[in-house]
Amino acid sequence: MSGRRAGLQVRRPGTLRTVAVLVRRDARIALGGVDGFASVLPFVAAGVVLAGLVLGPDPAALRTTAPGLVWLLVLTAAVPLARLVAAAERDEDSWDMLRGLVPPGVLLLAKAVVLWGALAVTWSTGTLLAVLLLDGAVTVAGCAAAVLGLVGVAASLTVFGALLAASARGAGLLAALVLPAGLPALLAGTQAGVADEPWPWLALLVAYDLVAGATSWAVFPFLLEE
Amino acid sequence: MPRTPAPGGALLPTAAVTASGAALVLALLVAPEDAVQGPAQRLMYVHVPAAWVAYLAFAAVLVCSVAYLVRRDLRFDRCAQAAAELGIGLTALAIGLGMLWGRPVWGVWWTWDARLVTTTVLLLVYVAYLGVRRMADDPHVAARRSAAVGVVAFLNVPVVHFSVVWWRTLHQPPTVLGPEGSPPIDPVMAWALAAGVVAFTLLAVLVVRRRVAGLRAAGAEPAAVPPAAGAAPVITVVPGGGR
Repeated sequence: MSGRRAGLQVRRPGTLRTVAVLVRRDARIALGGVDGFASVLPFVAAGVVLAGLVLGPDPAALRTTAPGLVWLLVLTAAVPLARLVAAAERDEDSWDMLRGLVPPGVLLLAKAVVLWGALAVTWSTGTLLAVLLLDGAVTVAGCAAAVLGLVGVAASLTVFGALLAASARGAGLLAALVLPAGLPALLAGTQAGVADEPWPWLALLVAYDLVAGATSWAVFPFLLEE
Repeated sequence: MPRTPAPGGALLPTAAVTASGAALVLALLVAPEDAVQGPAQRLMYVHVPAAWVAYLAFAAVLVCSVAYLVRRDLRFDRCAQAAAELGIGLTALAIGLGMLWGRPVWGVWWTWDARLVTTTVLLLVYVAYLGVRRMADDPHVAARRSAAVGVVAFLNVPVVHFSVVWWRTLHQPPTVLGPEGSPPIDPVMAWALAAGVVAFTLLAVLVVRRRVAGLRAAGAEPAAVPPAAGAAPVITVVPGGGR
């Protein structure tokens, strides 16, 4: 979009460029900030190790529970990761300015992309540790389920992260909202990795992504009004 | 100032009481005893209507939330809150009655069954929804946030309903609202169940209406009306604290 004012042509950056700028900035926070991997990845590692202690030492039991354990850890880690939605803006006190400048759909897309990346790294780390420590297996269907399932989780998490950014109160409620919102991903993601016939579970994840994405897109602008 | 009578007057309470009486008679006296489950099966005539009307209440939360986001009218927000509170109560009732039924029939109070877990998760989500309402002091800010959550939270309802279809569970698949057309249920039992659903629905409407009236009264703000010259100031009450 462009406009002419006092002889100067003002060109606003396109959607993809805006998303890229926001993603790059938030990815730096995720990589280096206290709200990102520095706190989440050690939590996932501790979760896998303690699961081995609690559910073991029977290797068969560990192998069976590993896929579901990883998804459960990812969803639990999603609660602190929701802070990434406005971490950079909170540090710079620029949340109000950002939501005034960037269209809600673009902001949702950028924030969801960052969260999807953070969740994917968390799932990959958990899976790697489950393979190394719990003798878990990695399947193509399991990886496809992660790629798909985390889309819906990232979309829902962006909404709850925006809710959290708008209010200092009620952060404890986030767990009660985030964990159920990821329930289809938890169940279908786990089943797709172990079932002989993963297609119905992958189809369920696609449906979940569509519904979660559409719902998040519909309600996100209302959370940016304040 | 005299109170304006509610639309419908005494018709709704009368209908609710009549339907409740009919449902009780049908469920306890007319419907035959289940050949396998015995008298414990009669809990179904309360358990199933409670669960269905809870779905209905959560659907009302969704509709009222969307209506608030479109119209910005706090009346819709009050309806959403009242419906959510009712839905929580009915979901808790359905879980409690299910546990009472499960002990003699399944042999356990609780099991990690998909229907049981997803229903409990549904309950937690709407408790959190009520918590979100307390995150802001401004009624419109609270309404906007809770409306957004109210829309997202409804996604759990189809998950609960289809959980017995999607997963191999201990809980029986849907008897009446199942994928196949005609329900495999004795006609008298079906009538008793239908009467229970009608009674619960009418009682739910009654409860929500009373709760909405209570919320409206609680949200009423005193607003000063500019007095006429020489007259004493007059204070009126604006119901609902403005739209």
